[in-house]
Amino acid sequence: MRKVGIYLCLVVLVLFVIGPFIWMLSSSVKPEGEVLTKVPHLLPSHFEFRNYLDAWKSAPFGRYFLNSFLVSAIETGFDLTLGAMAAYVFARMDFVGKRVIFLILLATMMVPGEVLLIPNYITLTRLNWINTYQGLIVPWIVSVFTIFLMRQFFMSLPQEIFDAADLDGSGPMRTLFGMVMPLSKPVWITAAVIKFVGSWNAFLWVLIVANSPSYYTLPVGLVNFSSNVGTVYNQLMAAATFSVIPLVVVFLIGQRYFIEGVARAGIK
Amino acid sequence: MSRRVRRNLAAYLMLLPTLVLLGVFTIYPIVNSFIISFYDWDMMSPVKRFVGLQNYQHILADPLFRRAFGNTLLYVVCFVPSVLLLGLLAAVLLNAKIRFRAAFRTTLFLPYITSLAATGIVWSWIFNGQYGLLNYVLSWVGIHGVDWLNNARYTMFNLVLFGVWQNVGYVAVIFLAGLQNISREYYESASVDGASAWRKFRHITWPLLSPTSYFLLLLTTIEAFKVFLQVYVLYGESPGPNDSGLTLLYYMFNEGFSDFKMGYACAAAYVLFLIIFIFTLLQMSLSRRVNYSA
Repeated sequence: MRKVGIYLCLVVLVLFVIGPFIWMLSSSVKPEGEVLTKVPHLLPSHFEFRNYLDAWKSAPFGRYFLNSFLVSAIETGFDLTLGAMAAYVFARMDFVGKRVIFLILLATMMVPGEVLLIPNYITLTRLNWINTYQGLIVPWIVSVFTIFLMRQFFMSLPQEIFDAADLDGSGPMRTLFGMVMPLSKPVWITAAVIKFVGSWNAFLWVLIVANSPSYYTLPVGLVNFSSNVGTVYNQLMAAATFSVIPLVVVFLIGQRYFIEGVARAGIK
Repeated sequence: MSRRVRRNLAAYLMLLPTLVLLGVFTIYPIVNSFIISFYDWDMMSPVKRFVGLQNYQHILADPLFRRAFGNTLLYVVCFVPSVLLLGLLAAVLLNAKIRFRAAFRTTLFLPYITSLAATGIVWSWIFNGQYGLLNYVLSWVGIHGVDWLNNARYTMFNLVLFGVWQNVGYVAVIFLAGLQNISREYYESASVDGASAWRKFRHITWPLLSPTSYFLLLLTTIEAFKVFLQVYVLYGESPGPNDSGLTLLYYMFNEGFSDFKMGYACAAAYVLFLIIFIFTLLQMSLSRRVNYSA
């Protein structure tokens, strides 16, 4: 009996959470006349897949997709590479000033990102980077969070493997990318998914840096599209759907790492 | 070159890109923002006029800022307990011996990863007075709907509901990790003593979960103080009817990027930082009551 209660509560919660997604999906394939009704129907009388095509064509969504993909992939690639290098240095090498530098990096995590917004915008204006890919990407290609996450893991690896690498005469870069990274798959997949999802969804920065649709990423393009088409809800829902699908796929593939990575951060 | 020097050099070379980037885009702006906050500057003009604390004085005297502060505080006070309670409930349910736990967990987590831009569009329709899902669901229990988005009285309710929906899975996942860290033995010995489910929760789960709860309390409060995007996507480019959704970050955004009052906006960012900092300190004074023994 108690089990039934638990399942019931969970189903209610799940319905609350995925209800909006279901509604988004079902409305995205409804014909125009069946969208705005007082009594909503879950299934349309017939599936109007044209909505997707119409939505896709009424704004440069191809461009938005490409931008989102470029920005997220490049940011993630750099974040992992540079983050791994920094993490390796902090975890496994000795150098003058190590403690101080690491503490300064940790301290920057305490400052809310919003404080950086205006001075970074000013820097970008000076560099003439407004409306450029480098403006969208470069400020975000390293994150202290990634460095911290990987450092914790690198520190837990047994000393013997590093001694063996030393004996082989392998330099730090070769040890890191040839040996440590393959051993650290779970941790860098976690970092990659978190970074990718974060950059895919980034909004405020894109809103500020991109003043022309050519440099919009999906979220900003979508909000812009929504204020343009107003209440053509079936197309709006179609656009919302195709804009979240790539991310949902990335998430579903990496979800074990992602959710566990997030959970680990909570109990560290 | 000696081995020591070479090692130091290698370390610094590997750190160089990170240090340069963080220096230019994180550390320098933190300092620069603070300096700009003492100037009157529109970004276009080459002259920056030093005004001392004037920006800060103006902010504190600005009725709009007070409005934004009041709204943000109201959001924090409504959002934080709601999301923590619902998240804890979900975690306790997920921690029971049930099937499909992974599927439930993944589903609850979904809103946390989808962009607010997309889900905001869906929610602004859900809140529609005539054709919205919310009023339809309410009609099942005989409640006559209202026009949620066009009435200042409901702005905070909308924002909190949307916020809870987005974050409940995240909170649940972290609570669940905390729950699974509690040794089964405590519950087994409590069962031997014939303790009820509620007593087990009250005397085992709750105290042993307190580090997790504390972490989540800090984190959700900090995030809640920075609420912005929800307002932006639900209400378009106005902060709700009658400024009822004007939040601190929205205020900063407007000053900086609509009015180009850069010094003023930087000061507003630091005021926001200070407010968050004070609340964090206040909550840290709670930490004496956190049980770290487990």
